[in-house]
Amino acid sequence: MRKFIIVFIYLFPSLLLLARASETMIQKYDWDGIEVVYLKDARYPTYNALIYFADGSLSDRKNELGATNAMFSLLGAGTRRFSQKELSDNLEYYGVSYGGSSTHEASSYAISGLVKNIIPTMKKICHMFADAQFPPQEIRKAKIRAKDSLNSMVTSHSTLARRVFRELSLAKTPFSYPVGGKLRDIRNLKSKVLKKKLEYFNKRVYKKIYLSGPPGVLAIKDIINKECGWRKKQSSFKRSVSYKPKKFHGTKIHLVTVPNANQAHVRVGRVLNKDELHKHELMQLTSSYLGGGFTSKLMREIRVKRGLSYTANAFASEQKDYGRAGVASFTKNSTLGALITVIRDTLASVQKGKFPKEELERARGHLTGGYPFKFEMNAAYLGELIHLDHTGRDYADILKFIDRVKSYSTGDVMAMTKALYSWDKQTIVVVGDKSLLKQLKQFGKVKMHNYKNFL
Amino acid sequence: MARPATLLLYITVTLTLFSCAHKNQQKTHLNDYPLNLAVKKVTLSNGLRVLIHENHKLPIFSYYTFFDVGGRYEKPGTTGASHFLEHLMFKGAKKYGAGKFDTIIEGNGGSTNAYTTVDSTVYYENLPTKNLDIIIDMEADRMVNLLLDPVAFEKEREVVLEERKFRYENSPRGKLYQQMMRAVFAKTPYGGSVIGDVADLKSLSRDQVMQYFKKFYAPNNAIIVIVGDVDADETIMKIEKKFGALPASTAMLALKKELDQPQLYRHQGVYKREIKSYGTSPTPIFMLAYKGEPLGTYKSFVMDMLSSILGDGQSSYLTQKYIKGKRPLLNNINVANYNLKYSGVFFLSGELLAKTNYKRFKKNLLRETRKMCKTAITERTLQKTKNQYLIGYYRDIQSNAGVARFLGMRENFYNDYSYYKKELDIYNKITVQEVKDVCHEIFDKQEYILVSLWDKYKKKK
Repeated sequence: MRKFIIVFIYLFPSLLLLARASETMIQKYDWDGIEVVYLKDARYPTYNALIYFADGSLSDRKNELGATNAMFSLLGAGTRRFSQKELSDNLEYYGVSYGGSSTHEASSYAISGLVKNIIPTMKKICHMFADAQFPPQEIRKAKIRAKDSLNSMVTSHSTLARRVFRELSLAKTPFSYPVGGKLRDIRNLKSKVLKKKLEYFNKRVYKKIYLSGPPGVLAIKDIINKECGWRKKQSSFKRSVSYKPKKFHGTKIHLVTVPNANQAHVRVGRVLNKDELHKHELMQLTSSYLGGGFTSKLMREIRVKRGLSYTANAFASEQKDYGRAGVASFTKNSTLGALITVIRDTLASVQKGKFPKEELERARGHLTGGYPFKFEMNAAYLGELIHLDHTGRDYADILKFIDRVKSYSTGDVMAMTKALYSWDKQTIVVVGDKSLLKQLKQFGKVKMHNYKNFL
Repeated sequence: MARPATLLLYITVTLTLFSCAHKNQQKTHLNDYPLNLAVKKVTLSNGLRVLIHENHKLPIFSYYTFFDVGGRYEKPGTTGASHFLEHLMFKGAKKYGAGKFDTIIEGNGGSTNAYTTVDSTVYYENLPTKNLDIIIDMEADRMVNLLLDPVAFEKEREVVLEERKFRYENSPRGKLYQQMMRAVFAKTPYGGSVIGDVADLKSLSRDQVMQYFKKFYAPNNAIIVIVGDVDADETIMKIEKKFGALPASTAMLALKKELDQPQLYRHQGVYKREIKSYGTSPTPIFMLAYKGEPLGTYKSFVMDMLSSILGDGQSSYLTQKYIKGKRPLLNNINVANYNLKYSGVFFLSGELLAKTNYKRFKKNLLRETRKMCKTAITERTLQKTKNQYLIGYYRDIQSNAGVARFLGMRENFYNDYSYYKKELDIYNKITVQEVKDVCHEIFDKQEYILVSLWDKYKKKK
């Protein structure tokens, strides 16, 4: 085992928040071509292991949409030696939590359990990666469940709003289609397709392993190299997307109707093109000021001053090749117009700098003072490192975060609010009763949809 | 075609591999990894209990306050008062007026929230270390000096009504859960809804809520738990200074004694029946509920094991039977053993697949409950559950907030923050026969309340 670096974070005493982590330090290893990041923490007899794959649902061809997501979720559906029941019983016997997930750009497989069982656990996980058969009878059952789950989405209006908002606000970019596909894609999911997909991820896609726990977790090197068969650098493909930057032509308004709703779910936002993904900390400061926590600008305007909603939040997030910015809230049917007006006017007033300086200072304090919490739990800490690696940023950004947030002025926040949240660039999506149309019309032309079109 | 000898070898190897998959798995005893959290506990002269656990990994801490008040103390006409009050606790007190509490916390990098159940109301903050003094001062202020500003009161009423729509009125699962709880705990203090009935929420007055606050918010009805980068002795001194002079309430103790009489909590629901209601679920969803146990009884621990064997994880008995089996009937299934302070409910819940006939499924499920006790509970499934519980304990304490909840809940319900040690001992000793016996006790009498919801049922006018 070649340990090629003991990373710096432990060595920067100036950053009090991490220097205190005497039992926690980051190490990097090269396991025969597989990069490994290890967060040492010997406080508990438990571990987290996360396998990162540098490709996601964008690898799915037109006639196999949803295949990546299905492949990772059905990895435990059976191998030549073991049935689905035996695999799950075996892993659950050790109390292991395991499962995969995908985004458009990347995928991951997470495993956690007791360190003393990590060898047999990883052997079983690697056996699944090496020999998953996706038995037709299991695929058939999974398809039935997937179909029913999509049809039942109408029971959760917020989940539905999230799905619809992605599709509509990211339209005309490669990132709008649901990772798991739609109802019409389910019939294309076949054993052969999933096996090919697994082979692709095993042999071609770049992988990186993130571990936390006592040093015993490092004993899985040979299992990774030999039993998962991941070694050397032949698996080097990293998904990167070139696309025509999206242009924005005025506010787009959509009403997605659901039956018997006495509440309207509202999403306002847009996609961020790749060339807009810079000044990460300023984006976070701006979205946090607008909609992070109970004291954010929007929460004060919507909930505290007017009692319009239980919650309101704003976000600005980045992936490798695109980002998203938006606002989410809900209100009773009769106050939909009032809610959208407050969101619009609040965003406009912040762009013009019409807000007290102490409000921004509070948001700054919220972001900088709360930063250590991102590193409190090992799984979250690993998540931060993975995001930095995925977006091609340096771990040193962790150390620079607080100073950068402190460096931005009121003018910077005004400018970023304008860049991210200009009303004429936004897509407004409302999920609710059809009677909401009348109120929505005051904001412009409204396109109506049946929720079933998005399933 | 394989030759006979090869085939025999193949079968032998396959069987060996299959059996190895099980036999080689080592047992983990729940006390193989003894859990021992160092805690300093002090009870102030006014009855306020304080627990401190130091963790200096990062310069942060979590501060939890558990009040022993919840939906169980509400009367018809005032349902939702505990939860409404929880919202109003953030609206300002005498020293730290309107807007100060969350402004100070969030401006210093912290976060704060709260939750209400039928038994408890819990407030929490996560903060950088330097804010210890101010949070102690603010919490002491709002424990006895709440303002309840009339304008903020009315705004928050609207907010709670919106929360109610979000969690229950527009959520078929939320609605189903409420109906199940009402039916199982009918005519007991647990039969109301924590969020409150709409009519009650609309009519609750500021005076009623203030009275409720004065009745139940007192140091001798609270537990403070602080976990993180703090010095235990210094912190206790600071708490003594700010909370020590707050008066205990003797009237509250007398009132609680009256409200917590065990006979009030005895199950009085009507069993062996079905309740159907309309909701926007395109496939039927259901809850099949049985009488449960209060927290802390030996049987309640055995029921925990039973619920996990039946419903936790992909390999659990009912998941394999109804979801992963040859002919799946459900999209999902859960089994829960919900123990409350003075009562409990054991229930199965799930969602039918679109192709599943509800009537036939109901028969099938009830038939299954009569025979599963014989087949589901084995040495292996019990041991698997014990292994899962051990990891569950470690997962619970990964953060300061997790440790604070872990300790506070046990102190709140058992008057013993270290009760987890007893729990582990109890779980470790539970036998297959004990789980089987409890399983038969629950299911054999067929005393259930089946609650279901579907968009094909008729709407009530």
